[in-house]
Amino acid sequence: MKKIVFSMLLALMIANLSIGQTNIEFKEFTLDNGLNVILHQDNTTPIVTTVVLYHVGSKNENPERTGFAHFFEHLMFEGSENIPRGEYFNIIESEGGTLNAFTSQDITLYYEVMPSNKLELALYMESERMLHAKVDQVGVDTQRDVIKEEMKQVMDERPYGSWQRELPKRLFADLPYSWPVIGSAEHLDASTLEEFMMFYNTYYVPNNATLSIAGDIDYEETEALVRKYFSEIPMGKKEANRPEANYEPLNAEVRDTIYDNIQLPAIMQGYRIPPKVDEDMYALNLLSSYLLSGKSALMYKELVDKQQKAITTFAFPLDLENGGMFLMLAIANMGIDAGELDKAMDEVIDQVKTNGISDRDFEKLMNIKENETVNGLASVTGIAQRLAQYKVFYGDANYINKELERYRQVKPEDIKRVANKYLDNNNRVILTYLPQAN
Amino acid sequence: MRIINFILIALMGLSTVAHAQLDRSKRPEAGPAPEIQLGEAQSFTLDNGLKVFVIENDKLPRISFSLRLDVDPVLEGDKAGLSDMIGEMMTAGTTNRDKDTFNEEIDFMGARVSAGSTSMFASSLTRHRDKVLDLMTDALYNPLFPEEELDKLKTQAKSGLALATNDPSAISSMVSARLNFGDNHPYGEPETEETYDNITVDDVRAYHNTFFKPNVAYLAIVGDISFDDAKALVTKYFSAWERGDVPGKVYEVPQPPKENMVALVDKASANQSVLNLTYPVDMSLDNEDYLTTRVLNQILGSGGSSRLFMNLREDKGYTYGAYSRFGSDKLIASFSVGSSVGGHVTDSAIYEMLYELNKIVDEGVTEDELASAKANIGGSFARSLENPGTIANFAINTKRYGLNDDFYRTYLQRLNAITIEDVHAAAKKYIKPNNMHITVVGNASEIKEKLEAFGPVTMYSPMGDPVKTIEIEDADITPDIIIMKYLDAIGGIDLVQNVKNAEIEMSADIQGQTMNMKMIYDVENGGFVNEVSMMGNVMQRMVIYDGQGKVSSMGQVQELAEEDLKKGELDTYVFPELYYNKLGYTLTLDGIREVKGENAYKIVVSNEDGPVSSEYYSVETGLKVKSENPMAGDSFMSDYEEVSGVLFPMSMELNSPQIPFPLKSKVESIEFNKELPADTFE
Repeated sequence: MKKIVFSMLLALMIANLSIGQTNIEFKEFTLDNGLNVILHQDNTTPIVTTVVLYHVGSKNENPERTGFAHFFEHLMFEGSENIPRGEYFNIIESEGGTLNAFTSQDITLYYEVMPSNKLELALYMESERMLHAKVDQVGVDTQRDVIKEEMKQVMDERPYGSWQRELPKRLFADLPYSWPVIGSAEHLDASTLEEFMMFYNTYYVPNNATLSIAGDIDYEETEALVRKYFSEIPMGKKEANRPEANYEPLNAEVRDTIYDNIQLPAIMQGYRIPPKVDEDMYALNLLSSYLLSGKSALMYKELVDKQQKAITTFAFPLDLENGGMFLMLAIANMGIDAGELDKAMDEVIDQVKTNGISDRDFEKLMNIKENETVNGLASVTGIAQRLAQYKVFYGDANYINKELERYRQVKPEDIKRVANKYLDNNNRVILTYLPQAN
Repeated sequence: MRIINFILIALMGLSTVAHAQLDRSKRPEAGPAPEIQLGEAQSFTLDNGLKVFVIENDKLPRISFSLRLDVDPVLEGDKAGLSDMIGEMMTAGTTNRDKDTFNEEIDFMGARVSAGSTSMFASSLTRHRDKVLDLMTDALYNPLFPEEELDKLKTQAKSGLALATNDPSAISSMVSARLNFGDNHPYGEPETEETYDNITVDDVRAYHNTFFKPNVAYLAIVGDISFDDAKALVTKYFSAWERGDVPGKVYEVPQPPKENMVALVDKASANQSVLNLTYPVDMSLDNEDYLTTRVLNQILGSGGSSRLFMNLREDKGYTYGAYSRFGSDKLIASFSVGSSVGGHVTDSAIYEMLYELNKIVDEGVTEDELASAKANIGGSFARSLENPGTIANFAINTKRYGLNDDFYRTYLQRLNAITIEDVHAAAKKYIKPNNMHITVVGNASEIKEKLEAFGPVTMYSPMGDPVKTIEIEDADITPDIIIMKYLDAIGGIDLVQNVKNAEIEMSADIQGQTMNMKMIYDVENGGFVNEVSMMGNVMQRMVIYDGQGKVSSMGQVQELAEEDLKKGELDTYVFPELYYNKLGYTLTLDGIREVKGENAYKIVVSNEDGPVSSEYYSVETGLKVKSENPMAGDSFMSDYEEVSGVLFPMSMELNSPQIPFPLKSKVESIEFNKELPADTFE
């Protein structure tokens, strides 16, 4: 009880403003059903973005029922008690809005961008599916077929797309990040309507959601509208499956060959990295920029430009709540053997591990980060999504104004340190992609 | 007051549903429509003819410069692919900065500078604006065009082509473009390894000298800058740019096909079929039907509430998405309906697409659909204004297309005036359900027959070349006669039968490295060795002997399964033609095909499990010119020379699914009936 009262006191607080050129002001409150609400006003363009983030992703799934979180992303467009089946898209789009959603290992996020005079409609639509989405057999059967085609399109038929299944399986073994977000067709086939309803009642509840609204709004009016549509949604009572964050290195290198329907061999390396909120994530993010942001980036310059062993390379830290993966992919140039490419990638990483990076390169990384941060604030949709995610992951929506500062605390020597600590041979999975014989 | 609030809140917490009931059966009404403000672009023209548009926007501390050339697309002919390399070449270093320095200076600011064949772009934080403009114009005026960069781009283009010819969606686009626009049109001409090889640095330089001129260019400056500052900056950096005559080009207007034509690309391994129903259409911003056709396409197949999406995805579950696209282009555009569908529903999906196309032509659209589409397009117009660059685009388009000055200002008004009659008329005028290229990339053996219901089916290669079939003139020809002719052509059956064993050494050049292959055939004892080495190191060695087989590679040895041995059985004979009958294979003649410009009989070799390979014998010379099999890929044989009285091909080109480029190999040595050492098959 005390806790509830305390959170009430926090409600209606306007976030402190910190210094900085592109400061994002916002207002935050929590409804008594537990729904976190964040509002950001920007009247430049008469549009408004509404984001609803449910703190549920593939990691919350039963290992025997993978793909549920993503399946729900589809089901939630099926309709509600007051929205006829299949009409969700149509209603939003026919009012001049656009909408979409995505599912990750950690969250499911929905958003609508509407003309600003139709904000109330967006709130109504989102509250409808939070209160009483229609999860019925017809919807389940249709979306099951759709998702099977999606699986083929994004994972099986797309060259190298199977990494989404093959890499995490080996990198995370029995941890909840070991299965792909899109899940397994067999699991979806085996699932019953009751299981889907149970999932809905557990995770699609206000106390597991964050609502953020950014754009051409009035703070007071918007707060009243939010209360009007969301206050009556009952708090969820079911116990959620919340695996704990537990970073541990892999402790032994795993190598495997994947024969795929491709023409050019490729090497995919994956390393375990610490949870999203870990201090080392800043240095790891900078490290990935150092390797692959721009044409002067080390890995691009070496593998694609100088040695011409790869036609393309990617590196990005997939930072996840419970500890994610640092991914590097290189697709071999014509006539380059996969083993040779693998060696060349390692040589690049070894350069960083041994030499670290120069002060000038470090300054460059800071400049790149500053650009990224500024560009991330160019649209109200970008702002709304960031506010919601930062609230959920960092417990603080105001992280949007602090992020760059956190990066500035990294020292050049940290880049070398995290390269040695995390990009360790015993902490990785290497997949060699080879063309399959017919 | 506070205390009361607390009590209230506590009570509410206890009785969870104590709220006034909201009537949720009614959707909320929209508030008064907000006024859509169109920002103004300020503009001026430099003495050299460069037209400049400035959009001031200080919301974020950043700025962008985007340069666009208004030139006609170029037909590149035997140098197709040239224009795709211009941009990379221009940003590969200048006479003032080598490539590494150039890139490093850009990346250091976290800025971006890029170029294309008709554009350049630069963006940075406001404080770097001078520096980034300096770099952009350095690339514009003083590009170095290094030879090694061009070589690199060619290699990458070839790899890209290899990737594309294996990607069903990319194949679908390539085939559609060639069918819609034809090989003699800049939008249709095919790029090949040969056309890439033909491109020289001089071509790049000539292109740059011809087309990058200020009098055909627009420069848009968007961001945190005042008009006066922008003017000063442009004067400083762009005044030195010299005008020049830029040639215009006129092309024949591509036409839709007279009837529906099915173009099928076989991708035997595909589980999905990529469909694209398409034809060329004359449509651009200045066309009076432009807006009406946007509405038409919105209703038919744009977004998640269109007819195609609702039918194929939401109702049938055939696909993850189905869309139509009504292009718009100054020269020529295309209309298309596309989707990736499950292979087993290929024909059903096409049927539904045709149904939707015919329905919209016959019945038009409803008032509800029209209202939705208008709101949708209007909403998207309003949303686009969030990006300040949109206003710059509007200003440039107005000039480029010679639009009315109030074209964009009256956009929403004109949109709202469109009636269902207008849309129906546009559907009748522009939607042509009977004049389409129905392109399908999928498993031909599964779907070909069913596709015949939609029009004549022509097979195409992944590059979009028709797979040729030619009438057989000789009515008495049989597979056995073709084989006999072949054996006669290479020296006669007696001589060929005399070859008891053979040792052949071949070499191939891979990116400057030499790969060596050695094959040993022991016909009498059923022995076969295939050894691949690079730089003296054996990479792989396969040995088949006495009904057993093994492959060793990098120290690992793998036994060949009986099934694989069976599949590869014919490859262990130096002249398998002698053994087809003996080994129980059946031969079928499958017409005449063109193989590298030469007509050849295609013979399908099958065992009890079905076809194992296809062999091609020249109609004219009788010689074998090509062999196709799913294990080894496609091999082409040429340069026959006499070896101990028997003609043998000295050149072999292998296109294998295992290697991304044609492997061209030459016979280095060949010897028949030599004494084989005892350990040959160990």
